[in-house]
Amino acid sequence: MKAFEYSSPTTPEDALKDLAGPGTVEALSGGTDLIGRMKDYVASPDRVVYLKDVKALAGIAEKSGGLEIGAGTRLVDLSADPIVRKRLPALHQATVEVGTPQIRNMATVGGNLLQRPRCWYFRNGHGLLGTKDGKSLVREGDNRYHAIFLTEGDALFINPSSLAVPLIALNAQATVVGPGGERTIPVEKLYQVPKSSDDRELTLAPGELLTKVTIPAGEVKNGFFEARQKQSHDWPLVAAAVGLKMNGDTVGDGRVVLYGVAPIPWRSEAAEKAIRGKALTRETAEAAAAAAVEGAKPLSMNGYKVALVKTTVKRALLDAAGDRYWEEA
Amino acid sequence: MASWPESPRLIGTSIPRLDGLAKASGRAKYPSDIRPEGLLFGVLLSSPHASAKVKAIDLEPAKTMPGVKAVLALATAGESTIFYQGQEIAAVAAETEEKARDAARAIRVEYEILPHVATERQSAAEGAPKVFPTGNTRAARAQTTGKPDEAMQKADAVIEATYELPVITHVCLEPHGLTAHWKGPDSITVYASTQSVMGVANDMVENLGLESANVTVLTDVMGGGFGSKFNADTWGIAAAKLAKEAGRPVRMFLDRAQEHQLGGNRPSAKAKIKLGAAKDGKLVAMVAETSGTGGRGGSNFPLPYVYKVDDRSRAHTEIFVNGGSARAMRAPGHPQGCAVMEAAMDDLAAKLGINPLAFRLANLAEADMVAGGVNRTDLYKEQVERGAKLIGWDRWKPRGQNGDGPIKRGLGLALHQWGGGGAQDKQVACIINPDGSVELRSATQDIGTGARTILAVIAAEVLGLEVGQIKSNIGNSTFPPGQSSGGSTTTPSMAPPCLDAVEKARDELFKRIAPGLDAKPEDLSLKGGKLLVKGEEKATWAQACRKLGMMPVTATGVFGPGLASTGVGGCQFAEVTVDVETGVVRVKKIVAVQDSGLILDMLTWKSQVYGGVIGGLNYGLFEERIMDEGTGAMLNPDMEMYKLAGATDIPEIVVDAYDTPEMRVRGVIGVGEPPTISTAAAIGNAVANAIGVRVPKWPMSPMNVLDALAAAEGKA
Amino acid sequence: MAEQDSRTPTGPGGHSRRKFLRGSGLAAASAVLTSQAAVAIEEAQAEAAAAEPKLLSGEAPLTLKVNGEEKSCTVEPRSTLLDTLRDRLDVTGPKRVCDRASCGACTVILDGDPVYSCTTLAVSCKGKTIETVEGFDIGEGGVPHAFHQHDGLMCGYCTPGFVTACKAYLDKNPGKTPTLEDVKRGLDGNICRCGTYMGVFEAALAAAKTMKGA
Repeated sequence: MKAFEYSSPTTPEDALKDLAGPGTVEALSGGTDLIGRMKDYVASPDRVVYLKDVKALAGIAEKSGGLEIGAGTRLVDLSADPIVRKRLPALHQATVEVGTPQIRNMATVGGNLLQRPRCWYFRNGHGLLGTKDGKSLVREGDNRYHAIFLTEGDALFINPSSLAVPLIALNAQATVVGPGGERTIPVEKLYQVPKSSDDRELTLAPGELLTKVTIPAGEVKNGFFEARQKQSHDWPLVAAAVGLKMNGDTVGDGRVVLYGVAPIPWRSEAAEKAIRGKALTRETAEAAAAAAVEGAKPLSMNGYKVALVKTTVKRALLDAAGDRYWEEA
Repeated sequence: MASWPESPRLIGTSIPRLDGLAKASGRAKYPSDIRPEGLLFGVLLSSPHASAKVKAIDLEPAKTMPGVKAVLALATAGESTIFYQGQEIAAVAAETEEKARDAARAIRVEYEILPHVATERQSAAEGAPKVFPTGNTRAARAQTTGKPDEAMQKADAVIEATYELPVITHVCLEPHGLTAHWKGPDSITVYASTQSVMGVANDMVENLGLESANVTVLTDVMGGGFGSKFNADTWGIAAAKLAKEAGRPVRMFLDRAQEHQLGGNRPSAKAKIKLGAAKDGKLVAMVAETSGTGGRGGSNFPLPYVYKVDDRSRAHTEIFVNGGSARAMRAPGHPQGCAVMEAAMDDLAAKLGINPLAFRLANLAEADMVAGGVNRTDLYKEQVERGAKLIGWDRWKPRGQNGDGPIKRGLGLALHQWGGGGAQDKQVACIINPDGSVELRSATQDIGTGARTILAVIAAEVLGLEVGQIKSNIGNSTFPPGQSSGGSTTTPSMAPPCLDAVEKARDELFKRIAPGLDAKPEDLSLKGGKLLVKGEEKATWAQACRKLGMMPVTATGVFGPGLASTGVGGCQFAEVTVDVETGVVRVKKIVAVQDSGLILDMLTWKSQVYGGVIGGLNYGLFEERIMDEGTGAMLNPDMEMYKLAGATDIPEIVVDAYDTPEMRVRGVIGVGEPPTISTAAAIGNAVANAIGVRVPKWPMSPMNVLDALAAAEGKA
Repeated sequence: MAEQDSRTPTGPGGHSRRKFLRGSGLAAASAVLTSQAAVAIEEAQAEAAAAEPKLLSGEAPLTLKVNGEEKSCTVEPRSTLLDTLRDRLDVTGPKRVCDRASCGACTVILDGDPVYSCTTLAVSCKGKTIETVEGFDIGEGGVPHAFHQHDGLMCGYCTPGFVTACKAYLDKNPGKTPTLEDVKRGLDGNICRCGTYMGVFEAALAAAKTMKGA
């Protein structure tokens, strides 16, 4: 880890000042991602701004506009929140499946959303796109954990935030403050597909600060399913979250969002179309699952993820419907 | 002639380990915890390249950095060849570890990067760059017994399949390393995380030009070795040299990535097996072509393992890759041989439509004689019967009949064997002090198996004391020569001389105090902390010892016949569920039936068996060293993408000690290796039973399971 | 939460903010905002130079409250809590194993919560309460005793982390009788390589009973 200067502001205003630099700056919250990246020299900032002393960033509150979750809210507190547990089981489930008890005590909502990809070529110092001598190491190499959508492009990593998936399914909005003021964007707009190795996958500009995410009021049936190798600490291979506005017994407007398949949280428009106006039955779920894999172009090793997309989409929908057919009797 | 007590008071019971509370309370000081006055922190600089020549090394930038006290080149410019990522280049010692890391990064190394072969596939490919002087592969001639090709013609059922297991690494939680502390210009004390204090001492003597008498290696406790920690290693010698140069002690341990890259590994295995049997369920022939990589080391494994096939041939090819060299890892070769053979046995049983349990028992040698006149085949039969009952084998169903929903349930089993005998040249000293304290000394060490505790159990048994009254001083290279902790040899090597030492010390005590009691030595005995004369209590243990005056009793024990043996069997059963829509395997239950002669401490013995099973579960479900063909780098040198079971991955585990009177008379046999051998095999078979399809590649990951299902579907 | 790569495969050092903004290829919708932000950042930088934030750099003294005792040493901002405890304060119960928030051997209780000290900066712990395994009751009612009696350890290197996670779990669930599944979930942030989990589970269940009875 390279030496850096350190500040620990206690107000968002001071945090913004500190984030302005000079030099390269990294914001530090739980530390479970950034500290590791710094130890591996994947990040070597001149300055680290510790945000956990900014108490105003933490907390969950129900406001007229919806449920506000501070970016500094720890995952342990999010998982214990009774409203989330009752009304937003998809978010609750995704949260309790992140990391370990210790990680959930440390990690924050903002840190989860803005962590950097786990792609092992990136983590081994080959840049976000994982290239060497201009060639993709990912495409030729071990891509078992990489993307199956948008793979005609150069960004083959997957977005690492499993909370982004239910949050996008729930149409959550992110509030970002920066030197230029405050702006509110859909959570999905926090991410972009980088076009070159100079790009980033996050849209936040240096000096900007994610302060909260807001889940709009209104009833949304939601569900989540994640497939992973280990039951203990592990990353999902693929996960799906759904947020469904119902018209009586049929789906009015529904969102189907996937983890583990693209460099951004992946909204499956085909699956969303397949469920519109349909009742939440196994047939609907199967149809959505089949639609969800349309256009998938797996890499050399990750064809198995196609099956996982089908399964997770189907199960997330049926989870929302309360039909957990896969649970052992 | 010494013998184990016929009705022991302590031996075979469950006794908490002597150093357990020190470890559980954080008070035990590991070699990586030792902090002598003036300690400097060492950092090893590793090669980032997998194949290269070292053209130049410039240490100067590091030497002038703040806090740096010594810098040492470990590679030679213009001479050294790099064979794998992580190979040692230089070492630094500085006031803080942060500064040492800065300095290591400041060292300028110029490499001529050479082509590499990172995987077996890449190494054996046609036109692959030849990166090893002897060639990338070395094929041994086929070893043939009988006439396998002819015999195969007569088989009623034949399977031909290829099975693969990846390279895995030891992942010792305490990395390899040591703390070097010079006590004078020619005298050094080393706190080493090792399985062999004597091995490390010997390395120090040879590499530093010291006299044996001036080298002390101490390993009070250590954080795991599994076969990879027998030597001082390059970095350990470097620590000693840096400490000498700086005039201050140096702590040097590998970081986690280096631990994966150069701390050793278990070789991979690939086996193309053709196995044939007659309708009656008897094997008739086996033809096997196998290969594997141990980096630049060997990768052979036993085949057809525990089964009898008279007509067989086997050809093994060593494949060399630019990866760290293999080191012994818990039952070297056996887990691989067991997995591939047991998979083939299961697949053939399925093809024959025979219950795999019966098929196995029908194909053991009639007489598989091991030490002490024990027929291991008889052992297997009884063990399998016990295991079958414990897992509920009567629920076994043929492949493809294990559930209508997405969750399939399956059962599998596998057999294993191991030697586990001891060395006959080790010693233990026993000292009985006038204050009543009892000390055992030997230059062996406890790597977590409970070696310290079992020596104390023996002493307490003989002297009529409690285990806590015995001071079991091991992990010191200056003590009487002790066994390295490997191959399940520690207990059978150390328990006999321990018994001998304590009995000799007791007899000497009797001899010296008998006259003062107006008794003959043979009238004396010890029981419940008391000295008895002709069966009557005459003094407490402390009072008896006080009669020694100023002179303690010391005795050195040596190996004696009849106290230890070798040659064990064992079997394991696994019950799994497989979600065929996700490929996720969950192990529900494992039954391990294990013999190992006379068990000294049932508590630590069971822990070892549990641990072996869990190690095998990791091998079966999770572990894999993933190498990148493009860069030659290991992609998962961590504990996150290198996957290891956590608490919620642990199934119900039933350990059944095959602890019969016939086994006890054999004497002690080690148990570290055998219980880890057959777990991955049993899990693989349970998965095949559940889903009706063989998953030919370990680990049983969702990727490998789904790929196998897709391949089967494609074929259908 | 601004983050920025400070290293690219072609060379360390990080790119400048301006270069980043030029090359970032942000979505059209946010591009406008971003260029506004660029101007604002320049202003903020000037402001920041005027009113320099409270910055720590280089080696500086730090006092930490460890097991009820004030302990002082010198650290850099980059020094982790784990390395500070082990290398500077001789608190060697927490162990360094994965060093990347995966294995739990470094677990300490920070203001009541078990956390990984390998990915916690020491300077961020000023004023907080740090409990390590060394501070636990080693008597018969304590968690270390239960681990000892049930052989919840072999080589023992993961053990302080397990004991600490167990203690924290039991403290957070007072008076309850955890099931085996509860215990497994509570200890799911720790990895043992010797495979001593069975003893660990028994120890945790036994300790829960004792603590409940106490």
